Amino acid sequence: MAGSNEINANEAKKVVPLHTWILISNFKLAYNILRRPDGTFNRELAEFLDRKVAANTVPVDGVYSFDIVDRATSLLNRIYRCAPPDTDSGRQPGAGILELENPLSTTEIVPVIIFFHGGSFTHSSANSAIYDTFCRRLTALINGVVVSVNYRRSPEHRYPCAYEDGWEALKWVHSRSWLLSGKNPKVHVYLAGDSSGGNIAHHVAVRAAESGVEVLGNILLHPLFGGEERKESENKLDGKYFVRVQDRDWYWRAFLPEGEDRDHPACNIFGPHGIDLKGVKFPKSLVVVAGLDLVQDWQLAYVRGLEEAEQQVKLLFLKKATIGFYFLPNNEHFYTLMDEIKSFVTS
Amino acid sequence: MGPYDSSISPAAGSSNSSSSACSSSTKPPPPDQMDHLLAGAGYKVRSNDLNQVAERLQHLETVMVKSSPVDISELVNDAVYYNPTDLVSWVDSLLTELNTNVTVPEPVPVNTDLSDLHQFPSDMNVYGSNHAPEMHGEFSQQAVTPLEEDISIRLVHVLMTCAEAVQRGDLPLASLLIDDLQALLGRVNSGCGIGKVGSFFVDALSQRVVNSPQNGVVQVELSAYENEILYHHYYEACPYLKFAHFTANQAILEAFDGQDCVHVIDFNLMQGLQWPALIQALALRPGGQPLLRLTGIGPPSNDGRDSLREIGLKLAELARSVNVRFAFRGVAASRLDDVKPWMLQVSPKEAVAVNSIMQLHKLLGPGGPHGPPIDLVLDWIRDLNPRILMVVEQESNHNQPEFLDRFTESLYYYSTMFDSLDACTAQPEKSLSELYIQREICNVVCCEGSARVERHEPLVRWRGRLTSAGFAPLHLGSNAFKQARMLLTLFSAEGYSVEENEGCLTLGWHSRSLIAASAWQSIPKPSPATTGG
Repeated sequence: MAGSNEINANEAKKVVPLHTWILISNFKLAYNILRRPDGTFNRELAEFLDRKVAANTVPVDGVYSFDIVDRATSLLNRIYRCAPPDTDSGRQPGAGILELENPLSTTEIVPVIIFFHGGSFTHSSANSAIYDTFCRRLTALINGVVVSVNYRRSPEHRYPCAYEDGWEALKWVHSRSWLLSGKNPKVHVYLAGDSSGGNIAHHVAVRAAESGVEVLGNILLHPLFGGEERKESENKLDGKYFVRVQDRDWYWRAFLPEGEDRDHPACNIFGPHGIDLKGVKFPKSLVVVAGLDLVQDWQLAYVRGLEEAEQQVKLLFLKKATIGFYFLPNNEHFYTLMDEIKSFVTS
Repeated sequence: MGPYDSSISPAAGSSNSSSSACSSSTKPPPPDQMDHLLAGAGYKVRSNDLNQVAERLQHLETVMVKSSPVDISELVNDAVYYNPTDLVSWVDSLLTELNTNVTVPEPVPVNTDLSDLHQFPSDMNVYGSNHAPEMHGEFSQQAVTPLEEDISIRLVHVLMTCAEAVQRGDLPLASLLIDDLQALLGRVNSGCGIGKVGSFFVDALSQRVVNSPQNGVVQVELSAYENEILYHHYYEACPYLKFAHFTANQAILEAFDGQDCVHVIDFNLMQGLQWPALIQALALRPGGQPLLRLTGIGPPSNDGRDSLREIGLKLAELARSVNVRFAFRGVAASRLDDVKPWMLQVSPKEAVAVNSIMQLHKLLGPGGPHGPPIDLVLDWIRDLNPRILMVVEQESNHNQPEFLDRFTESLYYYSTMFDSLDACTAQPEKSLSELYIQREICNVVCCEGSARVERHEPLVRWRGRLTSAGFAPLHLGSNAFKQARMLLTLFSAEGYSVEENEGCLTLGWHSRSLIAASAWQSIPKPSPATTGG
């Protein structure tokens, strides 16, 4: 209804700063155009519209980046590192690459976060500008390394491709000698992701636990979970803050195997086909929930599921946050989040 | 009032904030100031336009709500979009597209009191758009075994150390390191990856060390025939030249729309591989075929053949077979700045397209008595008043003054290019195409002064040059993008990527752009009569 649409626009504008409203609205409207009602996706236009950023071995604000393609899988990983304190921007550009010979540190522990970007399994890439910017901030924050994984996306590559790519990335990271740190050298790995990236992080962590591969912690930023049931938050917040339930449904249909519904265990973690994590050596989790995200009831159910399985989980509930609050550093939720992440990887 | 009032204390140090909207501030930002925050997301919006963009977005949503999803996606399939970085024009183009096809009642007046919303002063450590001159860093790793991986990393390390020694003039050390490098090369798979491209760089370095480290070497000239063979294999083995030709032809076709007499000036005719497709496209043009003149510039023959004329005859043959009136003229010149405009015989009533595929960078060398060659050439191009100047260049900075910087940049660039070649499986063509690339590498690494012609510069620098020289961009749109992507699917190798870059298109391997294509039109020079009152 025309009337309710205007109300919705006003709601969102009251709680997010102007820049954020512009950014997320632009994505919302562009994405509306890219999703076709028949379930196909206008990938050409999506790639045309996605603002991408090249890697840059010259440090900017203390962080530099480079891309590595894992030959075995053709997967691209973008690595972000902090420039050593005595490097100035004018120094030789190859400086970063030379560090592939030495561990990160032989005395200190340096956290390595494997980051899975969001986009509902369909949009964005590791080299999308919004994610490049976010990963740089993350790198500077933790004073460590961020590895952003360019996983395969739906609908061209459905479940379980993204999870497999995540798993490959985890193994790859663990096998890099130049990511070792600490007196007893090992790679200190955390998994992180926003939206679909958070979902991927969970599933990779499960596989890691089952295979005895160490993950020190999971950081899930409004992760994408769901189910057949309509939760109260979905009904209440439908269309109010940039997202509609029907959009979410489209993305699940594009990601899940054809014919499957949202109670599939990829989507509904602790649902009817869900997993029992009791007794599993699952990493501690930081789950961030935006109070204006219609998916929140599923995220809260996830947190409860972890608690019931006696896993360590901290819930960061940001009451007035909408999705994508972390893209721009222009709101208090952003800073709260950054503080939490920092203490999570240093504790 | 917004929710963040209590948290805002107009920070004393926020003098740099481009988007400060603290309630106490009354000074608007300077008119051209770009918003800092959205720049980090890849968008260019003037700070002063933010409210307008927000209003347009809201209007757009209203329009979209009234359209059915099927209508929207169908409309979008046919529409062409340009330069999504410019958020204002992107939103407007969507509005135009949707408005012309959907009857929209007057938008319901909405309380767009966006001035209520506060933003935090942007005085924090935000990654902004002030990049240091961009250095792309991609280092693709070698084959299977961890040991080989370690050796590859070591190889790169020693290459860099050796290049550093060369730059410092420490030849004894450089020679020792070259021995080390030869040893390392012996331990890696020289058939692919860093082993292959590494050997070319070791070779180039040792040539430089042995011969003339400061003055550089002069490359052995190949015969025209040899050059053509190498070029042809490079053309077949990987999509870079095809992408260049394809994208250029599209843009030229569009620029020639509605024109009856058209004249293409090709800065490097070579085997004329670009032109059959254009001739055929013009033959099929709705609205009728133009008269096509093609002027092909190329080096004078050193083997007795008149290759320019031969190619011209072949193209004329093709044009005749599809009923396109065609005239060809060859202009022999060893350097582009030897060409004088009168040689091109441009007529005022024709639409001119200037086509430069990997040629302009050769003009960036030391200048003669009349000034930098690039300025001279751009100046006479502008005098021709072309409807389009098509520029395709290698997307890398191999023209930096410091040897080490050039060496580093080219090592990554050509490693990436070789990786992309590795992925293409056509065996017989590969080794000669590699030789083509090897000569480029050698020129960048070994040569100096006027002998160093491979002076590649990235798009961002060409933009600056061309804009200063009096050219305005002609944006390549989503249709060219789509077609370029389709071209790539003809290659079995997945990994090639086309990207849109502020109205230009780039082709690269994974996330690293290797070739950039841009189109320009000349801004007519102000005539002397109009100055003064």
